[in-house]
Amino acid sequence: MKKMNISTLLASAIHESKNQVGTLLYQLQGLKETIDTTGPNQKKVIQIEESLKKLNDEWVEYLYLYRLASDGYELHVDTFLMEEFLDDQVFALLPSAKAKELELTFQCDNRLTGVFDERLMTAVVGTAVYNAFRFAQSKITIHAKKEDSFLVISIEDDGKGFEASEEQPDIFKEANTGLGLYFAELSATAHTIDDTKGYIKKETSALLGGASLAIYLPQPANII
Amino acid sequence: MAVRDFSHKKALLIEDMAEARIMQRKMLTDFGFTSIDIAMKAETAIELLRHNTFDVILSDYNLGNGKDGQQLLEEVRHSKLIPHTATYLMVTAETSIEMVMGAIEFQPDGYITKPFSQAVLQRRLEKLLETKERLLKVNLALDAGDHEAAIDAATTAMNDYPSLIGKCERIIGESLLELKDYDKALSVFENTIKERKMPWALFGKAKAHYLMGELETAEQHFQQLTLDNRFFVSAYDWLAKTQLALEKPEEAQATLIKAIEKSPKNLLRQMELGRISLLLNDNITAEMAYRRSVFLVKHSCYNIHDVHVRHLESLARISDNGPLLPRQKDNFNNTLKKVYDQPLEDPELKAQVYSYEIDVLLSENDINTAKQLFEVWLREVRFEMSAAPNKQQSATYLEAFESQE
Repeated sequence: MKKMNISTLLASAIHESKNQVGTLLYQLQGLKETIDTTGPNQKKVIQIEESLKKLNDEWVEYLYLYRLASDGYELHVDTFLMEEFLDDQVFALLPSAKAKELELTFQCDNRLTGVFDERLMTAVVGTAVYNAFRFAQSKITIHAKKEDSFLVISIEDDGKGFEASEEQPDIFKEANTGLGLYFAELSATAHTIDDTKGYIKKETSALLGGASLAIYLPQPANII
Repeated sequence: MAVRDFSHKKALLIEDMAEARIMQRKMLTDFGFTSIDIAMKAETAIELLRHNTFDVILSDYNLGNGKDGQQLLEEVRHSKLIPHTATYLMVTAETSIEMVMGAIEFQPDGYITKPFSQAVLQRRLEKLLETKERLLKVNLALDAGDHEAAIDAATTAMNDYPSLIGKCERIIGESLLELKDYDKALSVFENTIKERKMPWALFGKAKAHYLMGELETAEQHFQQLTLDNRFFVSAYDWLAKTQLALEKPEEAQATLIKAIEKSPKNLLRQMELGRISLLLNDNITAEMAYRRSVFLVKHSCYNIHDVHVRHLESLARISDNGPLLPRQKDNFNNTLKKVYDQPLEDPELKAQVYSYEIDVLLSENDINTAKQLFEVWLREVRFEMSAAPNKQQSATYLEAFESQE
């Protein structure tokens, strides 16, 4: 038998496991309906469900990461109304935020549109929000605006911010490989118009005072 | 967003895995759907779609051994079994999604990746139905084949809802192609490309060039599309069509063979490979393509007889160079049996079947049977049940019959 490339092997393995998470989620949903909605077990089931969802989202991220890094990702851009896109993201992540007792909202001009790959940006926003869950005190906001010829999507929290958390001695940091940031960066740079590439910026949130991860995506001319 | 009333909508759920099927059915019931039909495979879905109209179709991409969800979609869209007003939502896994998004020519209205929660499915459906409502006039016009009205309605919808610009521009461009207003279509597609390099716009542009007879330009563009997006197999089909028009049948055949490597289960593509191979006298490739077609046409919406008769033709052409091998003869008899299993009424096709049978019999030197068959054929011609043999056929056959006497 031909030996497989290690990254292909890992990607396939992740895929197999991801399918099983899917089955578990279906089964859990069935279980959830059989138990008392106010009972103490309900909360535990929801926690398990949220963890499984997060695991699933992380594996999606790794699969995209693999494809982006091996040039096997086909970008499919389309035009989106930002209000709708951000509403979708908040909708999908709100149960997780609630389970952590955090507030999750979005902000943007209601006429703002953007051109980008929806699946990729969904995964990037998801990854950034999961990350913000670990640092936010009480609030996370997803914000979108137009800046010059870029669409800027930022995930902001009211935690201590990037600098403060980076100053901490290593032993206080949670295990963090920086994979999420690398993924955000690859996804941003995959968005290219003519010679202008997308990029990311780690900043201090002007809105909430904590960390802000901003994703800059180049936009075609003539799009408001 | 207001909660939508699904109670008067008809849903079709296509899913081969029992667990997912039960779960999705329950979800749809919870949303208020009262009419939910179920199909476990594409073939059943086609039967249901042939005899019913549905408002919402929820189909898995992966449907076991038969056709996959994308092929099903292509087939029912091609045969117009689903109106533009219906909503088609494809359920995909991470690996299959690129096949769906890369299809470009026939895309579902939306997709949802597994696993999804009830809330996510409900929201997705509500949004898709909302978009369908906003485009109702456009889609009604498209279903009625009134492309001018579709263009007007799309122009209005695009002004009212800026997020629908992409969809509307595409409908306008493609409607202009239907109206044979190629110059205008080209400028619509080029205008989109200037702002966004949407694959459908690049595809539309290439098609416009083809239809305007600018074949070299079209060839270049289709070629580029096959390089840009390896999942966009229709670009190969159009490339082959263009190469054929440029009188480069060898290249067209090579292009189709490449497309078939990527997506072997498309019937029309196999048929086209068969046709071109016959033109090239490459009867072996033709026979293989038609044999696959005979397999694929089962439970599809396409004309079965046409496929069967073409397979017989390719074998008859092989027999021009000597008797068929036993395996080939078996193939011939199997397909011939299929032809006789279902009433064949088209007199043209009937005549073709007779001629191929006689060709094969003559190659085996079975003159008597051939002669008898020829008489049966002529009798049917008198009753106008079959078309008459052409002059060349009559001459060849009579000569063969006489040589024996």
